[in-house]
Amino acid sequence: MSDELSVPVRSEADLVTARQRGREIASALHFSSSEQTLIATAISEVTRNILSYAGSGELKLSLVQQGRKMGVSITARDNGPGIADLFSAMQDGYSTSGSLGLGLPGSKRLMDEFGIVSEVGKGTTVTMTKWKL
Amino acid sequence: MTYEKTLLPETLISSDEIGQRKAFLEFADEDVARLESVNEVAIRYADAVIEDFYRHLLSFEETRAFFSDPDVLVHVQRMQKAYFTRLTQGNYDAEYVANRVRIGVVHERIGLPVKSYFGMYCFYLRSVMQRLQEEYKDRPERAFSVFASLMKLTFFDMGLATDTYIEARERTIQSQQEAIRELSTPVLLLRPGLLLLPIIGLIDTLRARQLTEQLLRAVRANRAKVVVIDVTGVPSVDTKVANHLVQAVEAARLMGALSIVTGIAPDIAQTMVRLGIDLMRITTVGDLQSGIEEAERLLGYTVRRTGDGAPPLAGVQP
Amino acid sequence: MNRVRAPVLKLGETLIASVQEALMDADLVGLRDELVADVKRYRATGVVIDVTVLDVLDSFAARTIRNIAQMTRLIGARTVIVGIQPDVAFAMVQLGLTLEGTETALDLEDGLALLDIQLGRERRV
Repeated sequence: MSDELSVPVRSEADLVTARQRGREIASALHFSSSEQTLIATAISEVTRNILSYAGSGELKLSLVQQGRKMGVSITARDNGPGIADLFSAMQDGYSTSGSLGLGLPGSKRLMDEFGIVSEVGKGTTVTMTKWKL
Repeated sequence: MTYEKTLLPETLISSDEIGQRKAFLEFADEDVARLESVNEVAIRYADAVIEDFYRHLLSFEETRAFFSDPDVLVHVQRMQKAYFTRLTQGNYDAEYVANRVRIGVVHERIGLPVKSYFGMYCFYLRSVMQRLQEEYKDRPERAFSVFASLMKLTFFDMGLATDTYIEARERTIQSQQEAIRELSTPVLLLRPGLLLLPIIGLIDTLRARQLTEQLLRAVRANRAKVVVIDVTGVPSVDTKVANHLVQAVEAARLMGALSIVTGIAPDIAQTMVRLGIDLMRITTVGDLQSGIEEAERLLGYTVRRTGDGAPPLAGVQP
Repeated sequence: MNRVRAPVLKLGETLIASVQEALMDADLVGLRDELVADVKRYRATGVVIDVTVLDVLDSFAARTIRNIAQMTRLIGARTVIVGIQPDVAFAMVQLGLTLEGTETALDLEDGLALLDIQLGRERRV
């Protein structure tokens, strides 16, 4: 689909922008206000991950359709150091930065679909989707 | 916003989808050309076909009921002619699809049964076949190939119309389900600051979510400090349901409200222990009455009989 | 900078920080440092952080708020978080953020009342 929005992630200010854009797309799809908050929170978490581990990256927000289902898809990409231990990274409370370690596993709980690809030295890409019920 | 446009229910059928439908019917450019080539012929016999068509419709009581008003009949006959001639005018694009979907919506709304809809398509195809045979008496293969193209397009239209019907029904079912769900989870204000949430029936993820949302809104709207969640009417509790329960309680706490869960049946308690579900973070009380009493105590209420009513047991003085 | 996004008011022995708009991480950290310093300076016994206007509370914000509560407690003041909105509370628990060990209340009024009860203060009329 052509409705795609790109948000560069370079500083904390982009975090606020990313959350707002996420809410806009979600509200255009008539997601409920609490679902909009779930989406904005997940965006906040993955964007924060980019900032604290890679320094900069990019966020892509898009509308997706699968049969009759419509949804919002978020792709967070960076060219940072990558994650060596993906399994641990997806466990609650695991963190290498002193954070709560809820960012990735938590975002997975907030969204309906969640995928992560990471290569050490190359970067990390998180893709997550929330479907409109 | 640009998103809005793509989301109208009538355009649920995207250009990708239109392409896929045509491909599956093997509806190709030569079909378009063939149909366009008989446009003149179609215009010539349109009136006669429409006449036959309505004679057929009006000869059955079930369909006749829809055309009892003569003005309506004149109007729909004109629409029908436009529909019919459109079949051979080419340009079977998004606008064509939107038009077909709209016609489907209108028929669904007046309650025309799908069987009548299909019967009418069948009648169309048969009367056109007859006329094509007459038109191309010495070129039967020509009549046949035009007919095949027309059949593809008609089935294309039928698919759209049927999906419109299904779509409308699904929307009705969905809104009814929402209504049922809302009815099934009332949040009751028992006293100032005290909410009661009686949960009855099975809890799935969707319902748990709605239940939590309703509870949180009620906490704010009523400035509730204590919530009694009664699960007496919940037949089974698995890890998932228990998690939902814990989440509802924790979310309410974030808004400053304490929760008391009541009515966990003995067998459910056993299951929960076996499943290793940790409910230590939740205050649980055996039955609803004790739960409400506990809540009242927390809120500083004292309930006292006034002595006006008959005492439940002889010799018991309030 | 922080004074604009989360001004800290002093009311008797209580400090009230009301977050005014979407906080940046630096503002939150700034608020933490300021509150800790102010609790010491004014010998405050209670702190209320009003987050009514926040439409997202992610793990970083939650951690910082919890840290504030823990730090202020170590130096003698209790912290109550007030104004978490229904949608935000819902998202927080899904994420796994429950602000354990932190007091919460519906709004500023309830938060102040809670501090009075906990600290055994006389209610100001």
